[in-house]
Amino acid sequence: MALSRAELLSMFHKTAAEIAEKEFKSITEATVISELGIDSLGMLEIVGAMERELKVQIPDESLAGIQTVKDLLELVEKRQALG
Amino acid sequence: MALPALSPVRQPGRLVAPTLVQAVRALAHDAGRGFTFIRADGGERFCSFQTIFEEATRRAAHLSARGVSKGDRVALVIPEPDEFVLTFLGAIFAGAVPVPMYPQLSFKNVDTYHDTVAHITSASGAKLLVTTEATRPYVEPVLPRTPSVEALLTIDALTGPAPQAPVVEVSEHDVCFLQFTSGSTSRPKGVVVTHGNLSHNSEAFMIHGLGKDSSIDKGVSWLPLFHDMGLIGFVIGPLFTDIPVVFLPTASFVRSPRIWLDTIHKHRGTITYAPNFAYALVAKRLKDKDLSGLDLSCMRVTGCGAEPIQARTLRDFADKLAPAGFDPKSFLPSYGMAEATLATTFVQHGSGFVTDVVDAGSLTRGEALSSSLEKNASGDSSELAQELVGCGAGFPGHDVAIVDEQGNRLGERQVGQITTTGPSICQGYYNEPELSEAAFRRREDGRTWLFTGDLGYFAGGQLYICGRLKDIIIIRGRNFYPSDIEWVVSELPGVRRGNVVAFGVTVDAAGRHVEDGTGEEQLVVCAEAFQSEAAGITEQIQQAVAAQIGLSVYRVEIVPQGALPRTSSGKPQRRKTRQMFLDGTLPRPRSAAAGEPEAT
Repeated sequence: MALSRAELLSMFHKTAAEIAEKEFKSITEATVISELGIDSLGMLEIVGAMERELKVQIPDESLAGIQTVKDLLELVEKRQALG
Repeated sequence: MALPALSPVRQPGRLVAPTLVQAVRALAHDAGRGFTFIRADGGERFCSFQTIFEEATRRAAHLSARGVSKGDRVALVIPEPDEFVLTFLGAIFAGAVPVPMYPQLSFKNVDTYHDTVAHITSASGAKLLVTTEATRPYVEPVLPRTPSVEALLTIDALTGPAPQAPVVEVSEHDVCFLQFTSGSTSRPKGVVVTHGNLSHNSEAFMIHGLGKDSSIDKGVSWLPLFHDMGLIGFVIGPLFTDIPVVFLPTASFVRSPRIWLDTIHKHRGTITYAPNFAYALVAKRLKDKDLSGLDLSCMRVTGCGAEPIQARTLRDFADKLAPAGFDPKSFLPSYGMAEATLATTFVQHGSGFVTDVVDAGSLTRGEALSSSLEKNASGDSSELAQELVGCGAGFPGHDVAIVDEQGNRLGERQVGQITTTGPSICQGYYNEPELSEAAFRRREDGRTWLFTGDLGYFAGGQLYICGRLKDIIIIRGRNFYPSDIEWVVSELPGVRRGNVVAFGVTVDAAGRHVEDGTGEEQLVVCAEAFQSEAAGITEQIQQAVAAQIGLSVYRVEIVPQGALPRTSSGKPQRRKTRQMFLDGTLPRPRSAAAGEPEAT
């Protein structure tokens, strides 16, 4: 079953904290991922963890443009819709 | 397809073909074994050695028909590993000199990417630029800056029915390709690699190093193919020595490290290789439940190289994978660099890794004195213990020597510059005579020695690497290796590995930065973090460096995330960071990046 945007955001928050090994006080959809101290390697790790949890696959090409949390969540949502 | 008569493949005393073309030709009859390319979606493309030969021949004919002749440089920006390998070999079959470049599929930092592509393309004088439809928009904009390029082609132009084309003969003395180095310390330089270099180095690491057995061995690699370890280690070496390989996309490994192990399990891989960080990633990310059903007892060679190797990382990896039957004796630490083709020293395969625990203080005085970890617990900074991983010994027909500043050979446990000679040493940097002369030096023994710029020592027949000569920080007559300081800092919470740079600056009595040899060298540490955390992290860095290195930090600079200049492989560039520090152009940290809401 597809998760809501709020659920996806909270999943991102939890996963990012695991990967970066630190607490983030607040993450909103407008947060720029690199400003969380997450580099491209860390971002791929987060994407991988979310892909596994949600059983979706996000093609490499579409990852390229991601800057904010919103960019990523929109992609995930689109893949969820494809089922 | 009719195969040409096999040319005599081996020279007396040699165990592999003298050129890559002859090596591939010798495998052309084998339709059952070859390379398997796994795509990001899990699909596979199998290319038998026969297919590889036929496709390389076809692409060579297309290139020749388009006017590519022997020695012409052909720049390649091809993200798909299968298409990259076939096109790379096609260019070589046409007698051309391919120049692999890393692909980018993002407009992020696109200006830096264009600069790199323009620099490498122009420096190599490439006549053609070959790419894919998907990557074309990212490389096309550089064409106005690369006057040597006569045409940009996509691979579709090379895959139709082959036109008539003459067979181009290449010899071991011909240049095979240009390997642009990632250049941690400067702009990329093109290492000139001949067929002979590749033949000799492949024989060295695949046969003398790994003791390959074509009847059982199979490689598994996710390493990028635009770097030497992936390209020579898993494409060229295996082609010279008849070893099948399974390739995974690099991004798939980073997303899900277990895919590496799953692939080894499924394909019964026997040989794999990775930098230290990858072993750390597996040890950290793999859940115990991921191990159920995994049988990794097939792993015969678990190679480690390309960056400093941490004993603790290898131990963590081995502990984590022990339930899957992983044998720590399969660890094979090694040392090498693009200028020596790929591999310079290897640990004896099947022997596992050995470490040397030395007094860190003695290393800074140019001598590696044994220490014991117990001493470290006493907290006495003069007896700080450092554990280094042995990288093995040189190969037959080659020589590795530690030398002092005058070039004299040093003895056991004496720290000096690592130099090496033999048939794997490349021909220099393309069109860079001064840089070539500095690194590739003809010595009194009549041989050309590569001066690696790395510091190390021999003990008990093992080479140990201590750091880089050029980036070394000398404070009050003691040598400090930036990589050690960076490692200590990156262990702090809130600082990620690879987000730290340490370097020295000279400061005169008035506190001014001077570059004229007067003044005293001081340590600067730059780390990426949030402004909100800057004060705390600054203090932690000072404490950690004082406690573990025995050095006080002159300045800690906290910069925003992503602000440190990096190479194409993501390593921070120390020298560039240092220059930015001196110029005062390091960015200031942004406030309230994520932790707190913006004040409005």
